[in-house]
Formats: sequence, structure tokens, C-alpha cells
Amino acid sequence: MVAATPLLSTRNLQTGYHTGKRKIVVAGMLPDLRLEPGQLICLLGPNGSGKSTLLRTLSGLQPALSGEIHIEGVDRWSPAALARKISLVLTDRVSGNNLTVDSLVALGRYPWSGWLGRLNSADLSNIDWAIRATGIGPLRDRKIHTLSDGQSQKVMLARALAQNTPILMLDEPTAHLDLPSRIRLMRLLHKLARETRKAILLSTHELDLALQIADEVWLLHTGGQLHSGAPEDLVLNGTFEAAFAEEDVTFDMEAGNFLIYTPQEKPVMLAGEGPAFFWTRRALRRAGFEPVEKAILNIRVEQRQGHPIWLVERSGETGEYDSIRKLLQVIS
Amino acid sequence: MTERPFRKVRLTGLLLLLLLAFLLDLSTGTVSISLKEILRVFLSPSTANPTWQFIVQGIRLPKACTAVLAGCGLSVGGLQMQTLFRNPLADPSILGVTAGASLGVAAVMLAGGSMATLFAIKELGMSGSWLIIGAACVGAGSTMLLVLILSRRLRDNVMMLIVGIMIGSITLALISIWQYFSNPEQVKDYLLWTFGSLGGVTGGQLSILAVVVVIGLTVAMMSSKMLDALLLGENYARSMGLSPRKARTVIICSTSILAGSITAFCGPIGFIGIAVPHIARFLFNTASHRILIPACCLIGTTLLLLCDAFAQLPGSQAVLPINIITSIIGSPLVIALLLRQTTVHTW
Amino acid sequence: MNSNFSRRKKGEDKDKFGYFCAMSYIRRWFNAASTLVILFFLPACGGADKQPHDNTPATTVPSSARSRIKYAHGLAIDYPGQYKEVRITSHAAGRTDTLDYLLLPAGMAVPPGHAHAQVIRIPVRSMIVMGSPHIAQAEFAGVADRITGVGNGDYVYCPLVREGLQTGRVRQVGLESGLNNELVISMRPGILMTMTNPDAAFGEYATLMDAGIPVLPNADWLETTPLGKAEWVKLMGALTNREDLVNMKFDSIEQAYLRLAAIGNAAAIKPSVIIGMPFKGTWYTPAGESYVAQLLRDAGASYYWSDTKGTGSLALNFETVAPEALKADFWLDAGDVNSKKDILSQDARYGAFRAFRSDAVYNYNRRVNDHGSSDYWESGAVNPQRVLADLIRILHPGTLPADTLMYYKQLK
Repeated sequence: MVAATPLLSTRNLQTGYHTGKRKIVVAGMLPDLRLEPGQLICLLGPNGSGKSTLLRTLSGLQPALSGEIHIEGVDRWSPAALARKISLVLTDRVSGNNLTVDSLVALGRYPWSGWLGRLNSADLSNIDWAIRATGIGPLRDRKIHTLSDGQSQKVMLARALAQNTPILMLDEPTAHLDLPSRIRLMRLLHKLARETRKAILLSTHELDLALQIADEVWLLHTGGQLHSGAPEDLVLNGTFEAAFAEEDVTFDMEAGNFLIYTPQEKPVMLAGEGPAFFWTRRALRRAGFEPVEKAILNIRVEQRQGHPIWLVERSGETGEYDSIRKLLQVIS
Repeated sequence: MTERPFRKVRLTGLLLLLLLAFLLDLSTGTVSISLKEILRVFLSPSTANPTWQFIVQGIRLPKACTAVLAGCGLSVGGLQMQTLFRNPLADPSILGVTAGASLGVAAVMLAGGSMATLFAIKELGMSGSWLIIGAACVGAGSTMLLVLILSRRLRDNVMMLIVGIMIGSITLALISIWQYFSNPEQVKDYLLWTFGSLGGVTGGQLSILAVVVVIGLTVAMMSSKMLDALLLGENYARSMGLSPRKARTVIICSTSILAGSITAFCGPIGFIGIAVPHIARFLFNTASHRILIPACCLIGTTLLLLCDAFAQLPGSQAVLPINIITSIIGSPLVIALLLRQTTVHTW
Repeated sequence: MNSNFSRRKKGEDKDKFGYFCAMSYIRRWFNAASTLVILFFLPACGGADKQPHDNTPATTVPSSARSRIKYAHGLAIDYPGQYKEVRITSHAAGRTDTLDYLLLPAGMAVPPGHAHAQVIRIPVRSMIVMGSPHIAQAEFAGVADRITGVGNGDYVYCPLVREGLQTGRVRQVGLESGLNNELVISMRPGILMTMTNPDAAFGEYATLMDAGIPVLPNADWLETTPLGKAEWVKLMGALTNREDLVNMKFDSIEQAYLRLAAIGNAAAIKPSVIIGMPFKGTWYTPAGESYVAQLLRDAGASYYWSDTKGTGSLALNFETVAPEALKADFWLDAGDVNSKKDILSQDARYGAFRAFRSDAVYNYNRRVNDHGSSDYWESGAVNPQRVLADLIRILHPGTLPADTLMYYKQLK
């Protein structure tokens, strides 16, 4: 699967800014990174860890403080040539006056069209394909400023697709979307990577989605270290938890998500199986209980005529309830 | 894509309107000359009344041609600035180039105790209107150079916008100091210049202005693709292969050439640069500069010709300064457009 | 851009918004600027002050030393006893504004009933003047050596004042809002003579008046006849107790002017004239009630706008003037130009004018010093008969004995 020359690779890369004469290093200890065709890579990390800076640096929007970035083995690219290799979806708000969806997507052909920007048939078919792939056909004649955030995000993706580059980078593309849209977008990206052999790199905060969909995760720690690997490996070896440790949140290795509450001491004995068991455990944890081997409070989840019921036993008293809400009312 | 024929109709309509405005401008004036007489001046000059001939060919025609050039140049310059700075209030004067031209003119008009210097310049053979034009060009050119040098050091266009405004205010402050210490009569001449005038450009000056404006417009047309990309902001523009600095340089050059030369020859003419791009976007409902640039030329020209025709107060022998008319006509137009747009947006 | 060094109210240039309100005012002085005058050029300006009764203590002012105002509308001088009353009036904008001054001999107490009048002690021994005509008036009265300050020295023609500027005897005090109050107060002049319109607010001079320096507007440029404009020399006479000299000289100017005007008015053929030059498409030409229009009538010229209302200038567009300009016999006061080539460099279209083609273009800049200041604005202001003679010689060759022109020159 690994090609002789990767689409993108870095060596000794250091990202950051120059302000005036001062150098501000954001990520100074990056390992050498590689992007391969057909790969979907998620860039994860807490706020302020430098995800955007890394994306901007890799895509050529800002210069690296040091180190090299090779695209198809070459490290010097003119802006125009680079634009035929990497396309971007950014968090920048686009509100161009009078710009229609159609002409915005058409702007994606900028690196390929002539000096006046006239479009030929190849350009037009790329645009059509991008619009179909993102499903924004009904929006074609709408003005940009009339779109919702989610629609706008899709349109910007369509523009990047129209640019038709082997590498596609997206900075928090799911930020403004509702859950189904997020899932659909992720699925679309996954499909694109598989079908078009594009290398797709996206930064996101959607950890559970990223864990499900990414071929590889780049995990940036506050302070600029980066761990890369298959998402499952990173979970299992604790890297994941460590990356967010400072944030005073806990990663639930079993569920693959973060715990919102902080674990508490009230012990409870829980027994049962299936989804009902899973959700009961979540609810109890939220309410401040920690399942342990042996406790005074004893809860058992059972199935009765296809519906879950909850049996509670505490200091000899027993009770039976048909919803988690009632259960929580009693034990609290 | 169904927009295409619709655009052609509008462009053709505007072209007709432009021709009408041109004829209207030729036929309005304090001296009343019938359209028939005007046509005779052009079609059979030998039979035309020589006074009418002088007025039509010597006064009205050059004035109308100047209006065409200034209308094109200022509105395209305004369009470029509004896109470059992504600011609907931007106009060609925002770079400070207009103020620079004014400074040049102030330098020769408000000699401020340096009459001897002025005499020395005149001895060199520069005199009269050429002296003023030359001074304005030097002023505009050096401001443009300064803006370009600074623009190479700045990373983004908002900074550029602020720098342009700062240069403009420094320049105007210098002029004010000059005015403060000047002979009132010179101040009056200078103030008259700041009112703008389409009437003072004739003969060789008109040809030079035409050449310069055509150069500026050509550069603008060639930058239309860059302008389109800049609509998405500098980051996206860069990601599409545009070098923002190069684009900025090209666009600043084009606008400076247009605004500088027109200000040098006609004095400052406000509002066309702000109003016309909005009208063009409204009429053509597009953001593509390949269409907006020619549209701005047509609309700007028509508007300035109409303003010039209105400047000849009916029944009066006086003419209002063009700079005043453009504001009086331009501002309500923009407000009207904004009102219409709001109703469109709120459904 | 010629000559005068102050013809404008404070603030006009700074306040562009108010510019239009000020326009009529400006045009009036612009008109004043485009007019003329002179007969005797006083050989050396000013010179020593040898007049006898300068310092005579006045009991009552002798009748020979009283001035009677015949032509000027804006100036009145009364002699109620041992002192003089000067009244400066402005009829601008349908209003009449009056400023009263008491001219008291040194040491005399302010007479009752005049508690609010400004007091000027006469004879005035030192003065700061703001306008070119003031210098000419002082020369006329033989007191140019009493000028100790001018607004802006750049436009002074009078050699005596120029020399004073070089030696430091005459100081530049700045114009209007640029006026250096501290310098003026330290100079302690007998009066400060301004060109301010009398109806303008005097606020800017409040500091000076508080410091006891009388501020006197000398608005000769508001007059509607050349003799009325010249008659303001009588104010200078009253200030310096030189009425008899000034009256005598003015009487001879008046007679000379009236004699010349009779010749001009009697001319059988009245050649047509145009005045001035358009600037940026606008052509300022004197209105019918201006002193320039009067001068043209007296010179036997036919002036198209002679019957228009107004004492200032008309702002016409080029096109309005063009039919006249194309056929006019003479073109006068063409502005800041010295040759036909200069005119063409302003605008090649002017070459189509008949007067241009027949070499009948005359400009008033024959007497210009190497600083670019023209004597037309100084001595011309108090010698209208000289200007009139020039015009008659230009317009009606042969009616006056051949002589060279004083102020005008033919552009070649």
C-alpha cells in the first residue's frame, strides 16, 4: 500500500509564526509525516495544540519555520503549481457579495483555467462532478450569503473537489454541522478517498467519528508533539488519553469516547447485558455512581416481554422500575 | 447558464443608454443648440455655424470624451479596490493616490511663499495646465510608489487598507498646512481645482489621458481572474495558486494609474468609484469581474455623462462642479440599491 | 494668482463645507482683483514726510483739511469738532453693517456718547496693513514709510516697503488666521488695517482690540466704481491728518478720470471686449454693477455682461462665454499669462478667439517685479485714471496722445 514516493512527506518540520523579528514555535518536535493516495487521515488534538498551523504549513499557506515539505518528492513549488496538487477547505467565512454557489464552485478551477478564467468543457465536467458528489445541485443558483452554515460547508468542499487535486486538506469541516450531516460528510470523505485515491487530511474535534473513519490519526499534543498511527493503536497504548490528560478529562477506552463527568465514589453493583446494560451504566456514572464488584446498592437489568426493567436492592429493600429516570429518582 | 442571454440584453441596453447619454451631454449646455445643428457639425462641417462648431467640437465633445474616460477609470478602480479590500466602502481614493495628486497640485498652486520656485519651473517651459497636470502626476506617482513599497512588506490587505488611509490623511494634512499659510487667492484656485472639472481636458491632454486610461483598464481586465479569486479571501486565493502580493501589486498599479491620471487631468471626482460597482453588481447579479469590469465601464460612463448634463443648470449660465453632482446623484442611488437588496434578503 | 495679499475672510479655505456660502464674497473680491487704475505713478513711494501740519495740535479741524466723500459707498468721514468720526459701512447681502471709529488727537479724552466706538489716535505714526491697495493708499498720502508691518511680504511691489522688509524695518505678521498676534502686539502699531469685510465677525481680532490696537477694515474692493474705490485714500488722509494733500491729489485724479471717461463714452465705435480666462471650465467675468464693468463703459467698450446685476463676478461656464469670446475685438486681463504661447499652454482652444488671432490680447502685468508682484494691484488701485487711459489707448487708438501703456501690455 505504501508507494515509493508518497504524495506528501515532511522532514524535520517545525511550524510556527514570525511576529516582527520574534519566532513563535507552535510545533517544534514533529516526526516525519507522510500522506499516501487513498488515505483518510484525521488530525486530532486539543484546542491550541496547533492543528490549524500544521494544516496551513503543509498546504503552503504559511512558511515552515524549518524543515522540508515534499510534494510528490519535490520540495519547491510555485503557488500556481502547488494549487494543482493541494486543495483546501478552511474555516474562513466566505461571504463574497453576489457570489452564487455555481460561480464559487467554478472558482475551484482557477489553477487550471486561462488568464481570463474562461472555463472549457473539462472544467465544466469537473464542476458538475463536484456538485453532484456533494449533493448541492439544488443550491446552484443561490447566493452564498443565503446559505446555512452546513450548506456553506458543503459548497466549500465542492469548490475544493472542483479543484481536483490529489491532496485535499480540510480544517474542521464538521464544525458547524448537525450530527447526521457530520456523519454524512465523514462518509463522503471516506468514500472519496477510496474511490478517487485522493489523500485526505482533515482536522476535527469529532473524536468518535475520527476513530471510526480514519485510516490513520495524527494526534497533536499541547506543546507540539505528534503521535501518528492507526486510531485503535493510539487508544490501546494510552496515547489518546495522555494527549488530553491536561484537560482534566478522562478517555473511556471501552466506549471510545470522553467522559464528561469526573468519576465519583458512590459504589454500586450493576448486573445485566446488552444495550440496556450499557446505557444504564452511563446514566449511573452521570449520577455519580461507580460500578464496583460489591456494594450495598445492587441493581440488575433484565428483559421482560422485550422491555428492560430495573430491579433495585438496597439494605434489604427492593424495587422494580420501568425507566432509567424512575431508577435514578429512587437511588439518588 | 441561463444568465448569458439575459446579460447580453442588459449590456446592449446599457450601451444604448450610454449612446443616449452621450448625445444628451452633447446637446445640453447653456447655449441652446438643436440636435440637428449638432449633427450638422459632425456630418457637414462646412455648412455649420462656426460658433456652434467651436462649442460642440471644441467644448462639448472633449468634455464628453473626458467623461467617458473618467467614468470608466474611476468605476473600474473602485471595483478593484472593493474586491481587493473586501470592503463595500472602498474607492480608488482609498490608496491615497488621489490625495497624492492633490498634494502635487497644492505644491504648485499654493506656492506658499516660494513664488520664486514657481517662476523657476515656469522658466523650464512648464506652464499653465501642463504644470498642474505634471505636478499631479508626480504627486500621484510618488504616493503610488510609497504604497507599493509598503505593500511588499505587509502581509495582508487589511493592513494595506489602513496604510492607504493613513497615507491619505498625512497627505491631506500637509495640504491643509500649505493652505493655512497661503495667499487666499491661491487657496481659491486650489479649491476650485478640488471641485473637479471635465471641461479642462482638450487636444493633446485628452489623447494622453485616453492612452493612460486604456492601459489601466487593460491591466484591470487582465487582473479580473485574480479579483475573482480574491472574493474568497486571501487564504483561499493563495490556495488556488494566486500570489497575494503579486495580485496586490498588479491591482494597486492598475487603480493608481487610473485614479492618478484622472485626478491629475480632471481634479478629484468622488462617488463614481464607490457607487458604480454596486450598481453593476446589482444589475448583472454576478461577482465575475470578467463581466463586472465592462459593466462598470458602461455604467460609470453613462452616469458621469448624465451628471455632466445635469451640471448645466437649466436656465442658468453657471455650471455646478462635477464633484458635487456626482455625490448628489450617486448617494441616493446607492441608498436605493441597498433598500432593494434588503427586501430581497429578508424573505 | 496675482498680487493681493489678503482679500478673504478667515476660515474660507479651511472650511470647505462653508465654501459655497463664502462664494459670493470671494467672487466680489475676485472682481476687485480684476480691475484697474492709475495716472501718476508716484515717483518714489512714500519718501520723507515733510508735510507741515502733521503735528499741529488740532483745535478744530480746518475746513481745508476736511474730506468729503463723493463716490465711495462704504466710507464716511465726519468732522464734528476737534476730532473725526469714521464710519465703515457694508451693504453686503441685503444688510447694512456699520463700524464707527473715533479719530482723536493724542491726549484728547473720549467725547461723551462714544463709549463703545473704537478710538484711533491721530496722526497715526505706524501701521500694519494687510492688503496691496493699503500700501498704495499710504504711498498716495506720502506715508508709506509709516508701514511697519504687512500680512505677507511676497506680494509687495512698493520698493520702499520691499526694502523695509529686507532691512527688517517692516515685519511680516501673517494673514488672517495665520496672524501672529504676539508679534503685532509687541509692535504696538497705531492701527491694523485689514481687508476683512466689515460685516464679518471680528472675533479673530478680539485679542488685538483687547490689547488696545485699533483694527480698521479698509474695504475699497467692495466699491462699485473706480473712483469710489480710489476714494478710500481719503481714509488714509484722515488717519494721518493729510486731508489737504490727499484731497488735492484726488481732485486731480477725479478730473482726469472724468475727462477721459467723456472721451471714452463719446467714442463712435465701441469695440467688444472679454475679460479674464476660464479656470477648470468656469469663467469668472465682472458683473454689470462692478467697478470693472463701470471702467469698461467709461473706456468706451462694449461689454456683453454690462447690464447684469451684481457687484461681483459672474461665474459662467466656458460655453456661455464662448460665442462672445470667439468674436470679441479685444481680450483683456487674461490672467497669469505673459505671452500668447502661455495662453495656448493653458488651453489650445483659446487660439480660436478673434482677439487672439488679431493680436488684441492685453494683460495688466507690464509692471511686475522679479518676485512676481504687480504694481497694477498697488498704484493701480489709487490711480483709476491711469488704468482708464491705458484702456482707451488700447480700445481707441488715436483718441489720446500717443504714449506707452502704464500697466497693460500687449501679449505677443
